[in-house]
Amino acid sequence: MATKDREYKCLNPVGIQNPVETFPLAPRLDSVDGKNICFSICGEPDITIALEKRLKTDYPDVNWTIKKTYMTNAVQLSAEEMKTTDALIQGVAW
Amino acid sequence: MPYVAKLEKAGIPTVVVDYEDQLELGKETALIHGVPNIRFIHSSRLVPGPEAVDEFIEPMMEALTKPLTKKEKERGRWAPSQERVLFEGTLDEADTFYQQTRHIPPPLDAPIAIYTDGFPIRIPTEERVKEMLTGTSHKPDELIPYPFDIEGRRGESRKKGDPVLFQPMGRTATVEKVAINAVMAGCKPEHLPVVLAIAQSECAIGTAGGSNGQWCCVSGPIVKEIKMNSGIGMMDPGNPANTTIGRSYQLMAINLSGAVSGINRLSNFGNPFNTGGTCFAENVDALPPGWKGLNEEFGYDKNESAVMVVNGPGMLGAGGWPPGGYRALQKSGHGGIARRLDVKGTPGPHNFLEYMVPELWASREGVRTLVLMPQMAKHLYELGFKSKEDVYEWLWKKSFEPLGKFRLRAGPDLSTNGWMGIESTSGKHWKELSDDYMVPAGGNDPLGNCIIVGGGEDETLVVLNGRGTAYSIDAWR
Repeated sequence: MATKDREYKCLNPVGIQNPVETFPLAPRLDSVDGKNICFSICGEPDITIALEKRLKTDYPDVNWTIKKTYMTNAVQLSAEEMKTTDALIQGVAW
Repeated sequence: MPYVAKLEKAGIPTVVVDYEDQLELGKETALIHGVPNIRFIHSSRLVPGPEAVDEFIEPMMEALTKPLTKKEKERGRWAPSQERVLFEGTLDEADTFYQQTRHIPPPLDAPIAIYTDGFPIRIPTEERVKEMLTGTSHKPDELIPYPFDIEGRRGESRKKGDPVLFQPMGRTATVEKVAINAVMAGCKPEHLPVVLAIAQSECAIGTAGGSNGQWCCVSGPIVKEIKMNSGIGMMDPGNPANTTIGRSYQLMAINLSGAVSGINRLSNFGNPFNTGGTCFAENVDALPPGWKGLNEEFGYDKNESAVMVVNGPGMLGAGGWPPGGYRALQKSGHGGIARRLDVKGTPGPHNFLEYMVPELWASREGVRTLVLMPQMAKHLYELGFKSKEDVYEWLWKKSFEPLGKFRLRAGPDLSTNGWMGIESTSGKHWKELSDDYMVPAGGNDPLGNCIIVGGGEDETLVVLNGRGTAYSIDAWR
């Protein structure tokens, strides 16, 4: 066989991606009124300050809690808080 | 994203507000964390916050109430194929295969290579990879481990001995996988221990923001063993060891870490360090007496080889003078640098760092790596800096500025988390301190800076942002 016609097994440089079990989204709320919703703020105060004000005025029947950081890692709900939180908005995530 | 995924799995509906150009990154990260259909709403990079909120607030709230689609209710398993042999055919056919690209949507909107850095590669045939593996005593199927405990970017901890999770895709890799990338880069077997050491860094990329650059510097006996260039042009192309090892870092970032420009590699302009990769070496022979090599600075023995791996923000800078300007200063105390330092007519050595200091942190706070040519290191030694640490402490002290001025920087809004928490030098809350309280713009660690001695005889230096971590090369021989 001519050298240029020789066939080779050529190996895979891509790292090993371990399989991931994928989950459905959590069921949505029937309505936001009367619910405990957390606004989890990650930076971008230009947007999040305005959004926080609007959430409280436009949706006054929501029980709002706020968790705030300037960094990219959100301040997380504790295990206890997760039991009583009905939904969460995260922004502006990077 | 891991947090949002955790909440969804726990039955708490969420919505994420992000920028549209980061949608693909968000989707990819959501998939890796097991909840691929997380709902995103886009804000604007351009429109002022209140107007942007006007646009998205209603759809955002609807995302919490609108019933799930069939797709969003799906449960499944994501298991990309993992064949060891990627392609069989002639070398010409393999060239075509490995040079494949895919179109990346806006904001990139152009083809990006799937398996390469865009340059042609050396095809990783089984035979070539087998030969490459003679460069290490480690078995091909051994997973690359963390060499010490580390704290991840998002607070997750990794233990010594755990398999390295190459970021951002969280993949693992064997010694053989690293060897495959080393073949593609054009490395020789003798380079493989360096490449394996680099692999232990996770080969992480900057996912968003500034111009993240990945580079590395080798220190120790291996520099001469594998004939690296630590002299003139050490950051330029040409030397096979420097160039191919640097390239292997990039290929590992692409293939092991899963870096894809426009998807998860979103640094706005990219960085020239990443094009073809950047690796250079320290010139240990040029260190003044008592000055440690990089290997020793990181706790290795003088006779051990290690590589400092950096994934850092910002671009290359330079000394700010022509070579002749430096010579004039040191030889006879003439020229602009001498005038600024008020040493006109007095031969040196003079502390040239004084010339740089006012501007060293002008636009960005934080630590610096200074790459000094040998004569500059010698001048500092003659001026009384008997160790690199002496220089680091001097630089750190020079970085102090009034808090009133420090507050006028953009970075500390983030690094202090909105000025909450404790300022490290005073032990007091940021908000208790007066505007004239002096704080270090050069970072919180007096020994956080870094010096690498190398290069030729032209009297210039290079300033790089950040400092890395060093990994043992000898562990991989």
